[in-house]
Amino acid sequence: MVETLLAGAAFGGALAFLAGVFENEESDAGSASNPNSQVQLAPQIGHIHRYYNKAISGEPPQNALWATVAATTALLLLDFFDATGSGSIVIASAAGAVVAMLLQCAYGSFAHISRTASMKNFKQPLYWDALLVPLPLSMAYLFLSAFTMTLLSFVIHHLMGNPFPVPLIAMFIGFTLGAIGSSTGDVFYGAERLYQQYIFGSGIAISKQGDIDIRGEYGHRNSVDTPYFTLRFGGPITGLTFGMLIFLDALSRTLHFAGSWTFVLIATMMICLLFGITTYIEWYARKRYGPYG
Amino acid sequence: MMVIYMDPLAASMLVIAGGVLVGICVHFIPTSAVGAMSASTGIATGPSMLSFGAGLTGILSASYAVDEGLSLVMASGAVGSALMVTLTILGSNIVNIFGIGVPPASGQTARGQSVLARGTKDIITGWEQKGFVTPGTDGHGMPVQTHLSGIAGGVMGGAGGGMVFYGIYTLIHPTMIDAISAAGLLAAGVFLINCVLPAYTLVGKTEGLFDQKIRRIHKTFFSCLVVSTFFALVLYTVVVLF
Repeated sequence: MVETLLAGAAFGGALAFLAGVFENEESDAGSASNPNSQVQLAPQIGHIHRYYNKAISGEPPQNALWATVAATTALLLLDFFDATGSGSIVIASAAGAVVAMLLQCAYGSFAHISRTASMKNFKQPLYWDALLVPLPLSMAYLFLSAFTMTLLSFVIHHLMGNPFPVPLIAMFIGFTLGAIGSSTGDVFYGAERLYQQYIFGSGIAISKQGDIDIRGEYGHRNSVDTPYFTLRFGGPITGLTFGMLIFLDALSRTLHFAGSWTFVLIATMMICLLFGITTYIEWYARKRYGPYG
Repeated sequence: MMVIYMDPLAASMLVIAGGVLVGICVHFIPTSAVGAMSASTGIATGPSMLSFGAGLTGILSASYAVDEGLSLVMASGAVGSALMVTLTILGSNIVNIFGIGVPPASGQTARGQSVLARGTKDIITGWEQKGFVTPGTDGHGMPVQTHLSGIAGGVMGGAGGGMVFYGIYTLIHPTMIDAISAAGLLAAGVFLINCVLPAYTLVGKTEGLFDQKIRRIHKTFFSCLVVSTFFALVLYTVVVLF
């Protein structure tokens, strides 16, 4: 039993890390979540841009939709092929992720076209290359993200022994991952990548908002450049946060020294430890950077 | 599975109390939409969305303990949510400090408008906030006082989510075969409704317990009480009469 839970913690942690990285890159490639407001503002202050601008909904419900669609499809396929004895969770999850990917392609394309059309008054043209070049990249990240989330849902259900059915677990973790991705990795896109022309080490003042960087290293910047940059820091931190959540949650269920209350005790200790680490990092930043002159 | 016996009326009361607790928790978790541009103190997403994400983690944790009784369900939910909030704050602060190059600082405290603190210092650590806010912004990241408020919010939200989940499960358990799935889905629905209602008083941003908006908590309390009572009444009627 303990071996199964440990395997679940290891598999779950690794899959959650990958899901976090891919989810954040999918979001950044499409300018989704809160930084989307800056891409929307840009034409209003005269910046004609070539960013792929899909924000289908808030990142958490959007991500929950992809995960649920992929997991439901995978479960239906498994149910169908189990009758013939040829069901494979990995292949079924990949097929489910393809369905979610096609759905995202349709939603993302129409979201970009309609959002750009609404900017007609501000002379923002609908560049086809701004849509067609980053679209396959965004779809590829979505496939990887939906695939890993579906596998993670199976791991949580079968190895960790969660009583909820796989699609419901997928919805729950999809929503949680969307909230984490929106809170961690997207800050690197919204406050650093979009505003690289401003000096490092400051938040973006309200008066500067919308003044995004539209020039790339070569020509106009597009949304293919974005994940190339954010994959170096924002993506791994999102993956680390979500991976640690799944790993620590699963790991604290492997011990039973205080009966059923062991999980609560270990998780409380972990919260105290993480609080200490966060406080230390804040102290370090204040000492290192100092106040603004 | 162990059979759980609970009076339907008591279970309905549990759903109502849990729903109200879920609504109140949103006021405690520091969030801000423009936090994504490091332009305001708080976790960089909508208050409702982050609280819902934390709450779902809590319900997922609580589901493991559904046969162990109410106290363990509530405790599991509470620590599950608090763990999610703590990790998100840690990840977000790492991005702010090492990715953007800004130290966490509270905008309201720097302006001397914190509800509990006098002056411009963090109420827990006593660290000065005033000079550490980027000019033209309302703070960035999550300093210690808002982090602690977030943990308190996570504990409340997770415990509330656990109460709602356990209440619904005990209500529908005798009438359904796969009651746990339905209870999880319905609890998520109640959580979402009660998380969205405070959005009308918070308007996209709060620094948690130390924000002036905490004074509007009574509005959230009454709106969540009305909505949760209505939901519990419908559920009770369906289960008891049919």
